[in-house]
Amino acid sequence: MKGLIIKDIMCLRKQLTLFFFVLFGTVVISIMFVLSAKYGNIALIGRQMLEINENEMSQIDIINLANIVMMLFMILPIACVGDMVNVFIADGKAGFIKISSIIPLTVSKRLLARFLTIFTLFGIGTAIDVILAFILSLLTDICSFGEMFGVIITSASVISIYSAILIFFCILLGYGREVYAQVLTILSMIVSFSLINFKSIKDIWIRIFINEQGFDRDTFWKPLYFIKEKGYIFLITACAVCILSYICSLKIAERKRGVI
Amino acid sequence: MDEVKNVIELKNVTKDYGDFKLDNVSFAVPEGTVCGFIGQNGAGKTTTINLILDVIRRDSGDITLFGEPVNKDTAYLREDIGVVFDEMGFHEFMTGRDINIMMKNIYKNWDEEVFFENLKKFSLPSKKKCGAFSRGMRMKLQIAVALSHNAKLLIMDEPTSGLDPIVRNEIIGIFREFVVEEDHTILLSSHITSDLEKIADEVVFINAGKIVLAGNKDEIMEKHAVLKCRKDEASKVSESLVVYSEIGDYGAEILVNDRHSAEKLYPDMVIENAALEEIMIYYVNRNRSASGTGR
Repeated sequence: MKGLIIKDIMCLRKQLTLFFFVLFGTVVISIMFVLSAKYGNIALIGRQMLEINENEMSQIDIINLANIVMMLFMILPIACVGDMVNVFIADGKAGFIKISSIIPLTVSKRLLARFLTIFTLFGIGTAIDVILAFILSLLTDICSFGEMFGVIITSASVISIYSAILIFFCILLGYGREVYAQVLTILSMIVSFSLINFKSIKDIWIRIFINEQGFDRDTFWKPLYFIKEKGYIFLITACAVCILSYICSLKIAERKRGVI
Repeated sequence: MDEVKNVIELKNVTKDYGDFKLDNVSFAVPEGTVCGFIGQNGAGKTTTINLILDVIRRDSGDITLFGEPVNKDTAYLREDIGVVFDEMGFHEFMTGRDINIMMKNIYKNWDEEVFFENLKKFSLPSKKKCGAFSRGMRMKLQIAVALSHNAKLLIMDEPTSGLDPIVRNEIIGIFREFVVEEDHTILLSSHITSDLEKIADEVVFINAGKIVLAGNKDEIMEKHAVLKCRKDEASKVSESLVVYSEIGDYGAEILVNDRHSAEKLYPDMVIENAALEEIMIYYVNRNRSASGTGR
């Protein structure tokens, strides 16, 4: 199995180079950002925004905005760590199925290897992000280490969910249809998110477009607090989706053969 | 006398694709032999090989490898099998070194020393991306991989097709070396029958999804012969001997399935050895005319 994971990582070689560039850039920019937010121009802008206060912004709003910027810094390295669709495309192009079907590994192990590649890469991405979060938390009080950790767990979980669903669709549709698999994955994630949050979306819709009441601060910042504090819910969901995706993909792969 | 051990055994194997059916295929490949698997393109050779390797699921029938029934849980049997396809399946960015890293983490018996020796022997650079290899080099790379994990059985699907005679000869030389070991067996699918005449001990001939002939190559070649006679004499030849006859303006050529009987019965007629290719062509033509697709 290790051999297949190594092969998958070899397929993502170019992407890993990108990952290291993004990581380096993120580290530099995020440190510059937190330093600037504490002592430099960003702190100054924040103060001016509060003084002028054209948009009726509170200090919490400004801190939350800074939090979102920090979140993006946290998400970027994990998002760049590996898109499994490239492995499927590379395998399909090379006709690697011929090799994978003659090696002494069962379909279940071959599929597990692909899932383990995701976890290996996200593991590396998460570990690096945690180190980055720790450094940033020493430099700023905008966001605590715990909150940043929550963001990392959430983003790693969401991207794991994306990858797990993507693998399922790639197996279901077969080689050469990776683009459709990507579209279906994104669509299914949007639909699932909308269904889960149907009530909140409906309430916001009614408030803004029917009652014309504008944004409610608490509702607006609620997702941010949720991401920072309830990352474990995403993690549990990611585990469940990965297991479900593995089981369903295995059933399909064993029936269809020649897809992994 | 020791009982002959079959490394591969197929019994009544069927696979129906709708437009093509592998119909009740049964044959065996004894240990220590080179078995030539012949048939025209689309006859069912690759499908049969894929079934043997459990790459595709059979509809019915039994397949055993090394005496064990093949199913989804017997992937470990592939530890002892080296496979070569007509197309290389490695990623083009991979070098010999990359393949070694991957394979040594897949096969328990992977021998990297043997692998690099093989690369050297086949004049394959280990640092060059295999996407830049010629077709011959790609085949040799696959063979190098197949020979580097102490495989006892080599299964090859058209390994020599599209190669020039020099490389083909080299590859056949490699196979000869492989079968020097008594427990080494080869199933070699090809439609280049001249290669098989050089190396095969056994021959399995498949046509339109059905096994037409299976057995010892020398016996098959000894039994069959091409009988040449005048057009009017063709009808005198016993039907039980005739596989297929081709009657032209200048005479008739008949493939007979019992050379000795034909020689006794028709001493005045010219009887010539039949090459594997001729045997294949006559059987295919017989099938075509029987199914009404012949010319």
